[in-house]
Amino acid sequence: MNKIIFLITGSIIFISSLLAQDAKEIIAKSDELIKSKSSYAEFSMEIIKTDWTRSFGMKSWSLEPDYAIIYVTEPARDKGTVTLKRKKEVWNWIPAAQKVIKIPPSMMLQSWMGSDFTNDDLVKESSVVNDYTHTVVNEETFNGYKCYVIESIPKEEAGVVWGKLLTWISKDYYFQMKVEFYDEDEFLIKTYVGTDIKEMDGRTFPAHWEMLPEDRPGEKTTFTYLKIQFNYPVNESFFSEQNMKRIR
Amino acid sequence: MLLALAWKNIWRNKKRSLIILTAIALGLWAGLFSVSISIGVWEATINSTIDRNLSHIQIHKKEFKEEKLISNYIPNGNTIADEIRKDKRVKEVSGRVLIEGMASSPTSSSGVNIIGINPENEKEVTSISSYIQEGKFFETKKRNPVLIGKKLADKLGLKMGSKIVLTFQNIDTTLTFAAFRIAGIFKTESTNFDQSHLFVKKSDLYKTMESEPIISEIAIRLNSSDDLDSVYSKLKLDYSSLAVETWKQLAPELEFTYEMLILELEIFLGIILAALLFGITNTMLMSVMDRIREFGVLMAVGMKRVRVFFLILIETFVLSIFGGIIGMLLGGITVWYLSDKGIDLSIFAEGLNAYGMPTQMYPVLPLYFYFVLIVMIIITAIIAAIYPSIKTIKLMPAKAIRTY
Amino acid sequence: MKTYLLLAWRNLWRNKRRTLIAAASVFFAVLLALVMRSMQEGSYDYMIEASVSMYTGYIQIHRDEYWEKRSIDKSMEVSDKIVKEIEGIENVTLVTPRLESFSLISYGNTTKVASIIGIEPEQENRMTKLKNKLIKGKYLTPDSKGTILSEGLARLLKVDIGDSVVLYGQGYHGVTAADRIPIEGIVKFTLPELNKSMVYLSMNYAQWLYSAPERITTLSVMINHIDNLLEVYKNINGLFDDKYEVMTWSELMPELVQGIEIDNAGGIIMLGILYIIIGFGIFGTVMMMTAERTKEFGILISIGLKKGKLAFISFLESIFLTFIGVAAGVIVSIPLLYYFHRNPIELTGQMADMALSYGLDPILPFRFAPNIFVDQFLTVFVIALVSVSYPLFFIRKLKPVEAMRK
Repeated sequence: MNKIIFLITGSIIFISSLLAQDAKEIIAKSDELIKSKSSYAEFSMEIIKTDWTRSFGMKSWSLEPDYAIIYVTEPARDKGTVTLKRKKEVWNWIPAAQKVIKIPPSMMLQSWMGSDFTNDDLVKESSVVNDYTHTVVNEETFNGYKCYVIESIPKEEAGVVWGKLLTWISKDYYFQMKVEFYDEDEFLIKTYVGTDIKEMDGRTFPAHWEMLPEDRPGEKTTFTYLKIQFNYPVNESFFSEQNMKRIR
Repeated sequence: MLLALAWKNIWRNKKRSLIILTAIALGLWAGLFSVSISIGVWEATINSTIDRNLSHIQIHKKEFKEEKLISNYIPNGNTIADEIRKDKRVKEVSGRVLIEGMASSPTSSSGVNIIGINPENEKEVTSISSYIQEGKFFETKKRNPVLIGKKLADKLGLKMGSKIVLTFQNIDTTLTFAAFRIAGIFKTESTNFDQSHLFVKKSDLYKTMESEPIISEIAIRLNSSDDLDSVYSKLKLDYSSLAVETWKQLAPELEFTYEMLILELEIFLGIILAALLFGITNTMLMSVMDRIREFGVLMAVGMKRVRVFFLILIETFVLSIFGGIIGMLLGGITVWYLSDKGIDLSIFAEGLNAYGMPTQMYPVLPLYFYFVLIVMIIITAIIAAIYPSIKTIKLMPAKAIRTY
Repeated sequence: MKTYLLLAWRNLWRNKRRTLIAAASVFFAVLLALVMRSMQEGSYDYMIEASVSMYTGYIQIHRDEYWEKRSIDKSMEVSDKIVKEIEGIENVTLVTPRLESFSLISYGNTTKVASIIGIEPEQENRMTKLKNKLIKGKYLTPDSKGTILSEGLARLLKVDIGDSVVLYGQGYHGVTAADRIPIEGIVKFTLPELNKSMVYLSMNYAQWLYSAPERITTLSVMINHIDNLLEVYKNINGLFDDKYEVMTWSELMPELVQGIEIDNAGGIIMLGILYIIIGFGIFGTVMMMTAERTKEFGILISIGLKKGKLAFISFLESIFLTFIGVAAGVIVSIPLLYYFHRNPIELTGQMADMALSYGLDPILPFRFAPNIFVDQFLTVFVIALVSVSYPLFFIRKLKPVEAMRK
């Protein structure tokens, strides 16, 4: 989730800065600019499995890279469910039970809301910049856009399972179009693809995202942005357990 | 005089006496041997469990027994460990950090018990280092080395050198993620253990958690298991606010299986002796019937029935005891010899491993069994002799003499 | 031929005492072997029965791949008709449905992962005696909207009867399952793993909570005796196509199978040792008997009976003898084993306590089944026969003139 936000805001930065061609610089710059960047978004999430499909309508507020609140607006049964992320921890507010539940370590690797994202994914992405070393390895055209292909290798101490990430960043607008996740033996585990390039709140970026697990073809989780506001006024105190219950 | 007569009688029919002797000796030998194997296997299982991770005595904070949280560490744990180490009966003490967490790879994750150790101490307390199949026991300069079980490595799809991410709750309940590298893979007799336990260096954990050097568990290995009770009592007294336990209390199911095993073996020996009893009675009966004429004569010339009774009793008794002694000697020697060399059970390896049982075992025969057997042989011999003796003395001498 | 048979038979009864003694040794051999084997096999049946009645049952039916994936998405709908059909199968004693899942259970600031099980209260109790494990509160009814927790879990959450816990997890087809539920009862299991993780709900309520109306994950089947397992399994398997999986306890609990195999191996070794002793006993007896008849044989041979014929008669005598002994042994054992099978010996003291704490009856079980008798009958018969072939050997070597002088 935060990866989306990061990527979107990152891409915005590069519309203005054109000269940073070095991978490290690209990422470093986006990192500088991403810190303390806040946003508000409305989007829909669709989970597609072999036997069933579910759709959610959601709203999110985030303060990169550590804080986010996601509020479910649809369907009626799940309306009012809130996910709060603070740094590396996740809480859920369950309206049916009127209770806040903190997700224990053993559930961090279980799926979030039934999707192909785990709770762990929600908290991990903020560390992408720091935890990896980045190099430009190629230039390719993807989906009609000329892209840099950046290879990111996790640093020794980083607590991430991946062996490497390959990211396609568009040369013109610097938004991320595709990310491939590999294990240490260079097996592709999952792919994250952005399409439907649109303009929203003055910026151009992919409005539709899909997470495709390699070992379950035909299944995927998709995000579609309906509305987004950048530099939304919000600070740390907004992201609290009490606020989880109050949010609408 | 009776004794001399009994003795002569025995050797008069060498064949028969030899048969009885051999039957008893073999029966006992076989019985003792199988008992020693059963107990040997059990002992080996116990020892491997103690060696592998139970050790002789463990100490925890009382609250830790309820909930295995890292926050339930032993107050002043390291000081206590050092104190205990000074006791001459103690071979070595290992202070461990125990955390329940998750281990994950790109493809899978699994719940694990993370055990933070000091490799030097640990080597002297448990035998985990001897179970290493690949890699070494923390001799690497690699960052954050971890030792995991083969079953877990397979489940997560990892191998030597792979990265494994450990997730757990820190003391302040915040979630911590840390990457470790597989520096060694072990395989013990228990696949369950292999799947759910992994070892890291305490120091690496402290760095990751940014915490003081705390320990959750003190594991003590004694120089001799004979000191178990005395050391236990002392520690219980010295550290009454903590939970001090012996391996018997930590794994009561082991005691249970021992009791059941002994019961089974006693029944088994009983059955064997019953078989021997019938055999002896049978044979003595025939021997006696053979000599009806003889006994008739003896009684006719004045030997009191009572003495005849005792005569037969002594014959039976002597034969049984002899057979018994030979059997026990044979058994004892076999056990003594094999307890050195051991027996290889690797054909049963898979089944045994699932139960945490070793494939190389040494027969063991507690002295207790020798005593029990001597008593049982004596009783058996006496009972065996009764029927034939009674039959004999009921004879009418005159009739007896005329029998062929 | 008839003459030989008659001769052999008469020979036996000419010296009643000797014959009876020899037969007796065979008789006792059979008796002991049967007792030992009955006890050994009894203990395996016992272990299996105790294990399957704790939770799994002898046979389980699931949707295909459920056992591997354990997801509520692999649940199934089972009609009453099919359940009745299964219940109607001979030797089936109970069929009980379950809806199983994992969810978070939370109270105050404590959240744990637990096994959530939707049950039909009465049927579940008949199979696992869950009601007997109740230490506080009341048992569930089919309409209960409350839960029964295992004692260890209640302690970890610091809850008691009347408190409400929150269950949170994923239901069927990804629908969120969440509700606040009052605790109606607390049960205690002796196995700590079970004691720290079980949460029971009424089936109706569980199906509502997990948005899985009419759906279950498992049908557990109990049978009256393990010997009927294969038969029942085949019958049940025939009722379901390959969209389902039918599994037996050995597939559900492979560790138990291994444990029994190891024990069985040990048991057979012990039985083998018993046979050796028995064989020896019989052999010795026969040897002596033959020696006694040296003179008799010597006379017979010198008056013209061919050695071969004598040997044959002797052989027939041996067969009769063995048969009498074995038959007597079996006949006596039948009521004996049956009695102990129905009225097992009770364990006492520490042994009994430990057995109880594991949820087992404190008894020494005996198994009463045809295979035991047949197996031992045949085995001892063969052993006895081998032993009694000694006389043949003896006769061959006999020197009649010397023999007559004995």
